[in-house]
Amino acid sequence: MKLIEAIDVSKTFKDGSREITALNETNFSVEAGEFVAVIGPSGSGKSTLLTILGGLQQPSEGKVLINGNKFSEVSDKDRTQLRFEEIGFILQASNLVPFLTVEDQMRLVNKVKSDAYDEEKANKLFEALNITELRDKYPKDLSGGERQRAAIARALFHDPSVILADEPTASLDTERAVEVVEILARETKDKEKATIMVTHDERLIGYCDKVYYMEDGELRLDEDKSNKEQPDEDELDGTTTE
Amino acid sequence: MFLAWNEIKYSKTRFALIIGVIVLVSYLVYFLTGLAYGLAQDNRTSVDKWEADAIVLTDESNANIGMSMMPLGERDQVDADEVAVLGQAPNVIRREGETSEEAKINVTFFGIDPDEFIMPEVIEGEAFTDNYEVIADISLQEEEGIELGDKLTLAGSDIEVEVVGFTEDAKFNVAPVLYTTIATYQDVRFEAIDESNEGRISALVLRNDSVSGIDVENDDLVVYTISEYIEELPGYMAQLLTFGLMIGFLIVIAAVVIGIFMYVLTVQKSSMFGVMKAQGISTGYISSSVVMQTFLLSLMGTLTGLALTVLTAYFLPATVPYQSNSYFLIGITVLLILFAVIGAFFSVRTIVKIDPLEAID
Ligand SMILES: Nc1ncnc2c1ncn2[C@@H]1O[C@H](COP(=O)(O)OP(=O)(O)OP(=O)(O)O)[C@@H](O)[C@H]1O
Ligand SMILES: [Mg+2]
Repeated sequence: MKLIEAIDVSKTFKDGSREITALNETNFSVEAGEFVAVIGPSGSGKSTLLTILGGLQQPSEGKVLINGNKFSEVSDKDRTQLRFEEIGFILQASNLVPFLTVEDQMRLVNKVKSDAYDEEKANKLFEALNITELRDKYPKDLSGGERQRAAIARALFHDPSVILADEPTASLDTERAVEVVEILARETKDKEKATIMVTHDERLIGYCDKVYYMEDGELRLDEDKSNKEQPDEDELDGTTTE
Repeated sequence: MFLAWNEIKYSKTRFALIIGVIVLVSYLVYFLTGLAYGLAQDNRTSVDKWEADAIVLTDESNANIGMSMMPLGERDQVDADEVAVLGQAPNVIRREGETSEEAKINVTFFGIDPDEFIMPEVIEGEAFTDNYEVIADISLQEEEGIELGDKLTLAGSDIEVEVVGFTEDAKFNVAPVLYTTIATYQDVRFEAIDESNEGRISALVLRNDSVSGIDVENDDLVVYTISEYIEELPGYMAQLLTFGLMIGFLIVIAAVVIGIFMYVLTVQKSSMFGVMKAQGISTGYISSSVVMQTFLLSLMGTLTGLALTVLTAYFLPATVPYQSNSYFLIGITVLLILFAVIGAFFSVRTIVKIDPLEAID
């Protein structure tokens, strides 16, 4: 099942009289349980793609479907609501609220929904991400890796169908970066999510099912890299896909 | 509420400062209101005490009772349910034997007929039965230490009066009232007693179902309702307006200061709000938490200010005309909080305009 799909999506920016095409007629989709990497040079349009998929900005042309909803054609208010329900954002810089403890970051999600706090779910996530001991700490008291894991917990807590990660490992050393990506890969498989990760770090793409290469607003599947990891992928999700 | 309260707990110093400002401003507002009210009361309690509907003064007095003078006989030209004669004269008294400057006390004499309705209720001692006996306002006892049986000498004459009783809430033009007979009043004012129809008094105080139904057969006399009359008390409205203006401005200033604080905090947090928006948390939720936070801060601030006011009032010397009641205290609290919250709406515009896209870069 396609959880997220971009159909003929283009994005142009006006820069004075010049027109910059950040994204050119992109067609792209990610299935449930699929972990996709997007790589490419700086300024090629990776973040633009991600923010359009996440509904933070509107495409100039084309449309985005999330879980069957025409994301790019609803009102701002509904889009915010959809984003809250369907999308988990993980950003390069921490997306944690500085004055909430790790546990309260989760609690906030329930508060926004006026639900009771689902402590059991939080406990499971904390355990999976190995941050159970950090639950009462504030973001400023966490290391970069711990913070990023807490951010992942936050992004996963409301059970989004799509995870959008823009260079989630940029502030981490290799060891931590690998750890974070492993977690993302595992959560994607276990919970049948569609995960898109923008990264500069080619060492991390080994964990991804597909690798797309972006250049000058053109997105194409990087067969080499995707295929190379094919056996690994089968091993990982042999029971969950199909 | 969740975000608002957690942030206050997290940044204690920052929010303590804001609360501190609210405490100081609200303390000032509460206190000024108490003073304004106390002073207003000191101008009028003796008038309120009549529980009358109207007062008759001479036309040329311009509603100033000190300038109004009419013969006792004109009482018969006024047709109302109840009529009471009143002679009013300011004076300065000293306790017998005292000669110092500081011992001088400003008072107002009310010459009345003890059988008429404006006769005050005696809370200590007894009513006057003879000339040169007075019922005094209790503040003379509380502030000046005058006791029952004390003799008071009048400035500039050898008249002496004796305190035989005390009553409460009897101040006129910020001075305690001494109730006495019409004859004593005439002696105090004119140094001559004339209880015939030609004898002079200041005013007639009336009770009547409707003020318009009062019939006066004399063009030289004017009927004022009690509220009209109070507004015309010399200095009364000016005082009230001055205080009112100060209090109003203070409330607005408090709202502006809190509004600016919240605005600066909101601008500081805009990237965090951007991230929240990117995560799908609605502008409404973020805005309401900012408004809620303002509410919490102003609630804590005003309640502390209120506690301080009550404490101060408790230790205040009796000579300070501070007086307040729960209506004022609650009213001001509500106004302060309401205005502060309105000030916070200033920040909501900023929150609406935050672009979640900026959180990504
Ligand atoms: N709001 C904007 N206004 C004008 N041009 C923009 C805007 N946002 C992006 N661009 C342009 O679009 C192109 C793609 O930008 P984008 O941020 O998607 O690149 P990127 O691939 O994420 O780069 P990086 O790897 O450095 O993050 C760039 O040329 C950028 O200058
Ligand atoms: Mg980018």
